[in-house]
Amino acid sequence: MSDSVLSIRNLQVSIQSRDGSMNEITRDVSLELKEHEFVSIVGPSGSGKTTLLRAASGLRPPSGGEVIFDQKPINDVPKGLAIVFQEYNKSLFPWLTIGKNVAMGAAEYSNQERAERVEKALIQVGLSGFATRYPWELSGGMQQRAALARAMVSNPRLLMMDEPFASVDALTRNHLEDVVQRLWDSSTFAALMVTHDVGEAVYLSDRVLVLSARPSTVLAEIKIDLARPRSQIETRRTGRFGELVAEVLERVEEAGRASVGIEDTIQK
Amino acid sequence: MIGVKAGPRRGSTIARAGLGWLGLAILATVWQLLGMELHTAVFPTFITSLVAAWHVVTSSTLTTDIIPSLERTAAGFLISAIIGITAGMVIGHYETVRDWTSAVVDFMRSLPTPLLVPIAIVVFGINGRMVVVTIISAAVWPILINTANGTSTIEPTMIDTAKTYGLRGRKLFLKVVLPAASPQIFAGLRVALSVSLAVMVVAEMLGGGSGIGYFIANAQQSFNIDGSYGGVIVLGCLGWIFDTLFLMFERRLLAWQRGTVGGLLDV
Repeated sequence: MSDSVLSIRNLQVSIQSRDGSMNEITRDVSLELKEHEFVSIVGPSGSGKTTLLRAASGLRPPSGGEVIFDQKPINDVPKGLAIVFQEYNKSLFPWLTIGKNVAMGAAEYSNQERAERVEKALIQVGLSGFATRYPWELSGGMQQRAALARAMVSNPRLLMMDEPFASVDALTRNHLEDVVQRLWDSSTFAALMVTHDVGEAVYLSDRVLVLSARPSTVLAEIKIDLARPRSQIETRRTGRFGELVAEVLERVEEAGRASVGIEDTIQK
Repeated sequence: MIGVKAGPRRGSTIARAGLGWLGLAILATVWQLLGMELHTAVFPTFITSLVAAWHVVTSSTLTTDIIPSLERTAAGFLISAIIGITAGMVIGHYETVRDWTSAVVDFMRSLPTPLLVPIAIVVFGINGRMVVVTIISAAVWPILINTANGTSTIEPTMIDTAKTYGLRGRKLFLKVVLPAASPQIFAGLRVALSVSLAVMVVAEMLGGGSGIGYFIANAQQSFNIDGSYGGVIVLGCLGWIFDTLFLMFERRLLAWQRGTVGGLLDV
């Protein structure tokens, strides 16, 4: 498969707990992400979605299996891979202005090109004019948009997002989803998003993978055949959208039922 | 009513500075009255002591004792800061290093400074270098411990973010760990600054050969009681100047932090 951006092959992750015993979080997850494809991973609470993403991005070494990005196995976060985290207030550096935060993503460019890229990225997320503000002067939604701009500023081939909209209110979430959709539509990057929000996964993705409870495997793969570009109101009004959400939800519930009692024993 | 403005919660800066001076004035008055009342050579009045302090800073004592003391304090404090911040960041960032060093750090920082002075005198002799080393041996710990603490409590997401943008090794420490831990680092530095001054005086009294501590001890032993009180006043002023300068510096460097602490974080 030469056109795949990311191949996750039989990924297995175990984490050593405080008492020294090994906790298997991810048992066996495989996934091919094609060029400019949008894939979401959903799963019950505690299914190790964040752990999976950290291993897939090279932030933590897997215990087994491998991750191939751009034909090369990774053992560190590779160039061309950008990550947006859930907690924008811990991900943006509070001592840097928004402009300087975004510039972090473009360190390899010359000063002039960096300035241009920062300006462009801020316009893309609707934050032009905020470059000299500090993160704490912005609302939560604006901070997450700044984090998106920072991820976009280097033109990544792959954007990974860990519950990117979980820390904002529902209306802001809709708005942010459309910001991401617009960025994805107007660019060529592939996206891998981890979320517990089934509606959001269906709304944005080409495919949704459902993880089982821990130790997780891929339980189901649902193809999202909704027309693009999608709109919060028109797309969600269609019967097909409802069917797909219900289908994904059913699989997530299945996975969740199997895990009652062991979930949340370890922080996600 | 139109245009009601919320009043400042704490009084204006000028009013607060004024209160500080008023406190000093009361202390001086009580001292003066007590000195006049007791009328004894071992407790001179405030004004007598102030005059003595003036003599200290206008005589040759300025160059023979006060300036050397300032240099030693500054050197001891700055070297402590460099060692404490560097070692603190490494200890705080790497759990393994933390495990290896925690017992050593706890042992070293528990040693009382006066105990170390005789050893330092043996090793370095009666001179300024001994004073500087003694200052470091005491002032490095609050910096190191606060830095390590600040570093180990940095949000993992922040470190992950830094790694995502290719920051490794020295760059990671300078660009992310240092600023992220800087509020705690400054708290440690401020404690270390007053420790530096106190240890400077003790070390000089016990074997500095010169310096303000040496001057005070010497004045006391040669029955120049007014002189030792004058020295104490000079010392107090130095402490106040150091702290004021430090706070000005801190306010500039940590300006970004006031907003985040002000409750605007989750608008």
